[in-house]
Amino acid sequence: MSLLSFAAKQPPALPILVGLWIVVVIGLAALNPSAFSLFTVTTVLQFSTLLALVALGQTLVVLCGGAGIDLSVGGATSLSAVMAMLCVKGGLPGAFVLLACLLCGAILGLINGILVTRLRILPLIATLGTFYIYSGLALSLTGGAAQSGVPLWLVPWGRGVIHGLPLPFLTLALPAYLVAGLLLGWSSWGRWIFALGYNERSARLVGIPVDRVRLIAYALSGLLAGTAALVSLAWLGSGRPNIGDNLELTSLTGAMLGGVSIFGGRGSVAGVMAAVLLLVTFQTALLQLNINTIWQVGLIGALLIAVLLADRFSTRRR
Amino acid sequence: MLKMARSILAGGAVLALATASASAQDAHNSVAFVPQIVGIPYFNAMQEGGNKAGAALGVKFIYSGPTDTNPVDQLQIVQNLINQGVGAVAVSVLDASSLAPVVQAAKAKGVKLFTSDSDAPKSGRAVYVAQATDEGLGYTIVDELVKRVGDDAKIGIVSGEATASNLNAWIGFMQQRAKEKYPKLKLLAPQFAGGTAERAAQIASDMMTANPDLKAVIAVASTTCPGVGQAIETAGKVGKVIGTGYCSPNTARSYIKSGSFGFSVLWDPSALGYLTVWAGKQLIDGKPFAASNTVPGMDHPVSYDDKTGVLLLGEPAVFTKDNVDKFNF
Amino acid sequence: MRSALFGFGARETTLLAACIVAFAVFALASPYFATTDNLLTILRNSNELLFLSLGMTLLLAMADVDVSVGVTMGLAAIAVGQALQGGWPPLLAGLLGPIAGAALGLVTASVVVLGRIPAIVGTLGLFGVYRAAIFLALGGSWLSGIPDGLTRVLGARPLGVPVAIIVVLIAYGCVWVLLRRTPFGPHLLAIGGSEERARLSGVAVKRTRFATFVVNGILCGVAASFYVATYRNVATTIGGALALEAIAATALGGTSITGGRCSLLGTAIGVVLLRLLQNGLLLMGVPSLWQSVVTGGLLLGVLAFEVLSERVALARLNIWARAAS
Repeated sequence: MSLLSFAAKQPPALPILVGLWIVVVIGLAALNPSAFSLFTVTTVLQFSTLLALVALGQTLVVLCGGAGIDLSVGGATSLSAVMAMLCVKGGLPGAFVLLACLLCGAILGLINGILVTRLRILPLIATLGTFYIYSGLALSLTGGAAQSGVPLWLVPWGRGVIHGLPLPFLTLALPAYLVAGLLLGWSSWGRWIFALGYNERSARLVGIPVDRVRLIAYALSGLLAGTAALVSLAWLGSGRPNIGDNLELTSLTGAMLGGVSIFGGRGSVAGVMAAVLLLVTFQTALLQLNINTIWQVGLIGALLIAVLLADRFSTRRR
Repeated sequence: MLKMARSILAGGAVLALATASASAQDAHNSVAFVPQIVGIPYFNAMQEGGNKAGAALGVKFIYSGPTDTNPVDQLQIVQNLINQGVGAVAVSVLDASSLAPVVQAAKAKGVKLFTSDSDAPKSGRAVYVAQATDEGLGYTIVDELVKRVGDDAKIGIVSGEATASNLNAWIGFMQQRAKEKYPKLKLLAPQFAGGTAERAAQIASDMMTANPDLKAVIAVASTTCPGVGQAIETAGKVGKVIGTGYCSPNTARSYIKSGSFGFSVLWDPSALGYLTVWAGKQLIDGKPFAASNTVPGMDHPVSYDDKTGVLLLGEPAVFTKDNVDKFNF
Repeated sequence: MRSALFGFGARETTLLAACIVAFAVFALASPYFATTDNLLTILRNSNELLFLSLGMTLLLAMADVDVSVGVTMGLAAIAVGQALQGGWPPLLAGLLGPIAGAALGLVTASVVVLGRIPAIVGTLGLFGVYRAAIFLALGGSWLSGIPDGLTRVLGARPLGVPVAIIVVLIAYGCVWVLLRRTPFGPHLLAIGGSEERARLSGVAVKRTRFATFVVNGILCGVAASFYVATYRNVATTIGGALALEAIAATALGGTSITGGRCSLLGTAIGVVLLRLLQNGLLLMGVPSLWQSVVTGGLLLGVLAFEVLSERVALARLNIWARAAS
């Protein structure tokens, strides 16, 4: 597959995103040149990491179609972080923190998958239920207190920076996106995801194991939430029970801005990464210009609507 | 169509970004304050005080905070202020370990990081500008309540977020005071209402139903004040249950007048904001704090405890029916 | 099939049974639970959610959703609060709520229906826009100590029945009439079942969807008037978690996005059950932080129970069928 045809397959939102990003960067350069430093880049990437990981999970779930959505990603992140720390407090050797986070996340995601594929509960409702349970458990098990006890060797990785690039972003987020991109574009599993997102009935008729693919997608979303939990532990130095607050909505915003169709079957992880970076760059630009933070919320909402309107009126729907 | 949409968006984005920006020199001579959340009267009053101090002391005052009590959002704001090279950044931390990731970055850039209104004692912050000691705040509310309901009453606590370490510190001292001085006092376990008035009202009214012998309810977070006051009025328990809390006079006024609130304990957040900016300026200029400091523009000296690094505004103030009208925040 | 959609079905029975069981448990566990005052408290706490969930029921039945209902209510509440503070007669200020709500519903409808943006994404964007609008409209502060004129009007108890209950009954009644006695109902459910098929059958899809979003806005506005009357305070954080609660209560009540099923009674019972549980647990001494877990558990529990019991029933049917053949 040539680069050109690869580029042509990307959803129309991508040029909009790149264009917007260029505008934001130029605007910032014009109004506050001192903002341009390696520090800013590092900051943007640091604050993009959690969102990027969680948005990737959301993307996988949404791509599978069937009104797929995961409202519990934030709760899963919080609960995984808390559970890992509670395990450490309970005697788990620090070396297993990584495993604990990932395992916990994967299990929480698997529960979602079972609710959706085996019990046939609508994803919006199923993940709403698990959102309440996961975020509630994170708070009630800890009483709201941040859990300390993060193994000391983890923190330098969480806060480390090489040539301006934060280590968690470099070693976790970026590879995750690359792997996901490769899988989606070049493996049969990836083709199955797009197929069943595009037209579920045909996919079933052709013999694609629709339920199994969806189950795996939800499990992966949980796994990615677990990695986000790991990053939060390493970066912040403690397990926060409210670390996942709002992540469900912002990850969905990121995925939508990134050109993923809410009906599934269309979208690319490159677009999602671009959208996440745009969002955080935009926030950073507004902060550097000392504009009241409430404008971030409003402008990003307006941006989402605007981009979707532009996308809607410039594509021929099937 | 796409091109037109893109250029409209581009134009809009540039217009939105067209406000004042700080140049490198300005940046160093600025003091920033990051509250826990923007848009509530308490922190608005601190902002007012900060603005006054900025004008009086000749520093630029920057006020920027998250729109919800999300620790990562607050961290992003602090990190960006550090990147800008702001001289001193004060933070009302959402929880005590909030600042950990940015302490190193601040030191590297020569930015003086300190706390105000809510502390992170072990983070290596330069100073903590305290409105009153956490101990004083916890003790005062319990003492004032005991004066009104007796020392063997049952008292309920409605807090905001379970994750807010400063609120939890005050609750801790309330419980300590009750245990040490009023052993017959029954202080119920705190319930958490999050940030909305309706949840606070729901929890307060359920609490009063569950404990008909409840004599008082303490609203710990300022967002819970209207909810608690309203719940007491709606339940018809004005006079039987005394509401109180760390509420701003404007929020508590109608409840104090109606009698559902007996009193409110606070301090002057505007003065706290003023003191915060002064402290920031001192840090920028490299001037150490004396045991007792005279602050230009403030009418009483401010004490500093070197051992704990706490700059203390003063004693908590009690607002009652008699003096609540004198204040406007 | 139509009668099964609006009548008293399996889900409503399950919910009612759950209510009765919960009631019994709480009444035994706490002597203060089964008192008139406490029950009225539960209903009062359910008030705003009852209106918001009614709107959400219509939207979910149509395979749409609105995650901005909480902040829509917030904006309408600002209109009502500022009117009251400006000295408007209470009744007029109270009416401003539904009017402001209708206007906001128009905006939402335009974005979602005219803009052809999927409802969940469009209303997600609007959620951000309205939140910022609330902050800016409040000037970054709160409306406190709102005069109690509206409180007295809406808190009155003609013949011992609170005005709130009367308005809830009127609202649910009107919507019931709309659904049962006008073409609106079948059209709504047809769109929920399959938009394509509905359009091919001659249903005015755009108009119906547009109207539903406006009705939803009006209901948010009614909730806003009651909110201002009850709390006399509008904070910048108003309405945050309400949209998800409304979706949860509606889903609990049996309205489903697929298959175009709509249950007003179910939603109402769902809302009351939710608030009943929250109240009862607190009375039993369970810390408030566990209430979320209970909400999620209830939602998933009821849905899973229904699915599993259907499967058991089907399996039994199969066994008999096989035995008979």
